[in-house]
Amino acid sequence: MGLSYKMRLVVLVAGLFIMAGGGILLKGLLVPESFGMYGPYRADAIQEETMIPIRHGTNASCYSCHGYEAKVHRTGRHKTISCEFCHGPYADHIDRGKKIGTLPVKTGNEITTLCLRCHNTEIKARPEAVIKTVAMPDHLKSQHVKTSHTCNQCHHVHAPLKYIIRAKEITGLTEKNI
Amino acid sequence: MKICDPSPDMKKRSFLEKVIKGTISGSLYLVFPMGANALDPLGFDPLGFDPPEQIPGIRGSEYNILDQEFAFIVDITQCIGCGSCCVADKREYNVPDGNYRTWVERYVKGFSDRVYVDAPNGGLDGYQTPRSDIGEEIRDTFFVPKLCNMCKEAPCVQVCPVGATFTSPDGFILVDEKRCVGCAYCIQACPYSVRFINPFTKIVEKCTWCYHRVRKGLLPACVEVCPTGARKFGSLKDESSEVYKILKGPGVLTVLKKEMGTWPALYYKGARREVV
Repeated sequence: MGLSYKMRLVVLVAGLFIMAGGGILLKGLLVPESFGMYGPYRADAIQEETMIPIRHGTNASCYSCHGYEAKVHRTGRHKTISCEFCHGPYADHIDRGKKIGTLPVKTGNEITTLCLRCHNTEIKARPEAVIKTVAMPDHLKSQHVKTSHTCNQCHHVHAPLKYIIRAKEITGLTEKNI
Repeated sequence: MKICDPSPDMKKRSFLEKVIKGTISGSLYLVFPMGANALDPLGFDPLGFDPPEQIPGIRGSEYNILDQEFAFIVDITQCIGCGSCCVADKREYNVPDGNYRTWVERYVKGFSDRVYVDAPNGGLDGYQTPRSDIGEEIRDTFFVPKLCNMCKEAPCVQVCPVGATFTSPDGFILVDEKRCVGCAYCIQACPYSVRFINPFTKIVEKCTWCYHRVRKGLLPACVEVCPTGARKFGSLKDESSEVYKILKGPGVLTVLKKEMGTWPALYYKGARREVV
């Protein structure tokens, strides 16, 4: 250590500045941008989370094109059911205003399976006040139809009581005097 | 060393002290920067459709992330176990098979007070058949939808070693997929088992209450498709929202695993004491 007292001071101060500079540089390299804006995490991740594409629209998105179905669905008992639950997500059908695919329509026994997903009395956990349930094939028997009938042969899938109410209006019959 | 000499030049000493103090405080300031910049307001119309706003007050004005509070209420007395929510959730995020961001459990309680819980495929296929393996008379049976509890004291956030899981200022627990290293510590910490490692991306994934939808004024996908209104979501800053009214009202609401001290923002209505 042949340095003079003053030189040693200069070296010390220079060393401190180099350390501080190195620290600033390392921090800039290692700490991601926007880290610590709201807390010990990258605040930009919030923005990135909002960029996930939306795949489900609302029933209103479907109604904007499918006018007839909208009219039926809106007035029926099934109005609270999402179109997309049975038919698939909006994003599989429309992309930036253009049709990109056809959504499936359930047919035959698929419909019965789909209906019984909610309307099966066998599953006891369904409160009567919330949903009307039926037992199969007892329901078909009590209505005097073939047990091979699918639900949509009597019930309109979008408004389940549509045909039934109409039939009652035409015939003047009620449940009691059948 | 002359610097430590008991007879120093006092000017030099005070100068050095100032340099050292300045360096330390300067570094501290760099480590803990003050003030918060507001995020840019989001443009809407990512898909070319613009459904009507479902959560009032999100669109239009600038979203103040520091002044928001949301709540989720699950009404067990309304749930019919159709599994619409599970299907919507899987479709919204393309959740890999065998993993669930949300699921519906079936609780069956016998007269012996034994509780039988099952959730075949997370309720994704619905509940088509009753349980046949219960050898006693059934006293009560009900469905319990499960999802992220958005704890105010979230254990997953506390344990994350890389700051990838965090509580956003508006109360959502989110995962920063660029930071997550897939250590799965949070999966062990979560008392509600809502987290999983995505088998393809190898990073952790969880229910976000559809944060991307909420920020665009839309309800979470599971709430949107629920046919009976068993799932309710809304802002607590909006006094006309259904959740605000329920939380303000006298009805009994419970949270899961209250004793864990996690303070969930997910409330259950009509949950029996067996529900965990």
